[in-house]
Amino acid sequence: MNPGEAVRFPKVRPRALFASRPVLTFLIVVAVWIGASFVKPGFGAFGHLRYLVELGAVVGLAAIGQTFVVIAGGIDLSVGAIITVSAVGAPLVALAFDESGAFAALITLAAATVIGVLNGLGVAFLRAHPMIMTLAMATFLQGLLILLAGGSAISAQSPLLEWLGSARPGGVPAGVLVWAIASVLSLLALHATPFGARVFALGANSLAATLSGVNVPATTVAVYAISGLTAGMTGLLLLGMNGQGYVGIGDPYLLSSIAAVVLGGTSILGGSGTYAGSIPGAVLLVTITGLITVVNASPGWRSILFGSLILALLLISGREARRR
Amino acid sequence: MTPAPTLAARGVSKSFFGNAVLREVSIALQPGRIHALLGENGAGKSTLINILSGALLPDAGAVEIDGRVFRGLNPRDAHRAGIAVVQQELGLTTQLSIAENIGIGALPRRYGLIDYRGLARRARAAMDLVGLNEDLATPVGDLPLGRRQMVEIARALFREPRVLILDEPTSSLSAHEVETLTALLDRLRAKGTAILYISHRLNEVMRLCQHVTVLKDGVVTADRPIEGVEAADLVRLMVGRDTGHLFPAWTPSADRDPIIQVSGLSSGVLRDIDMSIRRGEVLGIGGLVGQGQEDLLLSLYGALPASARTAEFNRQRNLPASVRRANALGLAYVPADRKREGLHLIHAIGWNLMLPSLARAFSLSLRDRSKERVLATALADRFAIKGDLTRQVRALSGGNQQKVALAKWTPAEPQVWLLNDPTRGVDVETKREIYALLRRLASEGKAIVLSSSDTPELVHLCDRVAVMREGRIVATIEREALSEGAIVAAAMGADPLRTAA
Repeated sequence: MNPGEAVRFPKVRPRALFASRPVLTFLIVVAVWIGASFVKPGFGAFGHLRYLVELGAVVGLAAIGQTFVVIAGGIDLSVGAIITVSAVGAPLVALAFDESGAFAALITLAAATVIGVLNGLGVAFLRAHPMIMTLAMATFLQGLLILLAGGSAISAQSPLLEWLGSARPGGVPAGVLVWAIASVLSLLALHATPFGARVFALGANSLAATLSGVNVPATTVAVYAISGLTAGMTGLLLLGMNGQGYVGIGDPYLLSSIAAVVLGGTSILGGSGTYAGSIPGAVLLVTITGLITVVNASPGWRSILFGSLILALLLISGREARRR
Repeated sequence: MTPAPTLAARGVSKSFFGNAVLREVSIALQPGRIHALLGENGAGKSTLINILSGALLPDAGAVEIDGRVFRGLNPRDAHRAGIAVVQQELGLTTQLSIAENIGIGALPRRYGLIDYRGLARRARAAMDLVGLNEDLATPVGDLPLGRRQMVEIARALFREPRVLILDEPTSSLSAHEVETLTALLDRLRAKGTAILYISHRLNEVMRLCQHVTVLKDGVVTADRPIEGVEAADLVRLMVGRDTGHLFPAWTPSADRDPIIQVSGLSSGVLRDIDMSIRRGEVLGIGGLVGQGQEDLLLSLYGALPASARTAEFNRQRNLPASVRRANALGLAYVPADRKREGLHLIHAIGWNLMLPSLARAFSLSLRDRSKERVLATALADRFAIKGDLTRQVRALSGGNQQKVALAKWTPAEPQVWLLNDPTRGVDVETKREIYALLRRLASEGKAIVLSSSDTPELVHLCDRVAVMREGRIVATIEREALSEGAIVAAAMGADPLRTAA
């Protein structure tokens, strides 16, 4: 590195690292874990913490796509519905020759990706607002599910789903393993590829991105496709962990996916952020949910508490910086 | 002894960010007189209007209403004193009806609610004055631009003003509407209204006005009755400053093969444009603001849907259908509004410098950060962009932001640079650097298309200047015939100088 470059690209100081949102969110998680272990014996046990991370994998997977979409300046409100489609749809496409369940899983993921592509096409070419487009898609999918599956739960058994739900290679839950691999790939895509740079360009200023030669429609379709794919993965993981899928199984994960993204410091206005923040964001969310279940209260009060806590956390870990 | 002016500015000065826009400007609007205010783009006309109407406070000097001095005139005082402004940028709310737009801010009330019947009666009266016969309930968004302008004028008349300020009211009007307006202004003048009339159409000014004030670079260069003045004199008073030292020496380049040739180009406001752009030349695009210059650049760049009878870009037939196609053909575009269109303000300088390259690179290849750092450093050195490149672009001054907007395209080595007002809001030193850069690129055989609202820039920098008016190229002036007067005259249609393009 020549001396000119040291001025142009100064080394990041360790102190600045501590002010970054992903690190901050991670520290909050650690603080909550330590605090909770003192208050509640057994919370800090390895098994329990591993269980929390396993639950975090579900939210975290859904938050991958949401992170891409939010950084690109959009929002995906169909995440919950796609999770349900995948969890209810996978048993429906279980075929006799497909003993391992891999084929069903592939079809399900492909279908989820296609749903994402449709969202992207609507946003990019019909110029539908992302909220309207994905909300309409969610409503459409819910109707479709009721027609296909009726009100009953559908159970599914295949070696693949069983592995996803309960295997622990080397002590690590399979879901967490899948999450880890997916996280590394998304971080690479977001921060180490030209595609990632275009996602940031699109979210920060789509007009300037267009005039700089960025293929805005293709990038838009790609981020919604990623969101569809990761929501599909979330659905399969849920199915594996639950053993059955039912209409409404994905609903709680819509707010969670968005909350994880925002808690991790990604700007809801688009253009800046990182999935590295959504990871501790997801774990923080399931931790809070876990703590609330301990409180002896009716589901109504739990929900109120959960909503208030998310709001409070957002206030603590920094509101959206004013810009423009 | 003349009567006391209804509205006057006495020695007002105003500067923005250290740039003097007005210097000791005085103007006096007499009742029963139509007063013309002339000046080039950026001469300070809009600033003066804003000061007269209380929208801006002068740094020095004062505004007088009926001989009474107002040091801190605010829009409410001005409104109460009967000063009404018809703005150049249409300030109407498109979703509201004509009547509501006319009455807004001064809606008649009854029992605390809007008195729609009273509003309708008075709005209709104002509309009759300007010859609007549309239904009162029509949303303004449904009207064509010229009719909206008339609504804007009716809105000013609704307040029964004693001083009426019109900022280029005829730029979007048809000939018939101009006639109506002219007759109306004559009637208002006879009733004793003081009128300030800003227009770029000299023949209109000569016909309608009795008095003229000319602004040049924020200084009054003439303040006199219009009788006995020739249009050519007015043009001379508006232009002709000494800025030669800013510009690099002009040398013709040997390479002058056409790289882009289009004929019959139409898009949006553009009508039937024929042009050829040659390697090694700086082709200027001149004209008054908003005559289709930006649309021309954008349609050449594939950013606006356009059609052409014939088009040849770098030996390829057809217009580029998209920005990416244009980039592939060797075109680059630097927008006028760098904050909204040219740069990603919240991202780092270095990142902005890399974006066009990243837009072209294979999507899922791995970025080579160290190579990017070397390239960004080299670009920053070459364009004299100082300091840490990990800072957000918005931390830079306007001039440095513009340098980033230019520098980011150089790695792509464009053959054709489309520049939209690259020196707008840029300090003098950066201007000098940009001018030198443009001539250097031309001498390297690149083609530069320079749209500019700054006429001296066109005169000193360009090999040819195409002047646009109302979506057409009305004249192409060769280097030998280039002068500010020639450009301004062509832009205003005072004396069309037609030469073969």
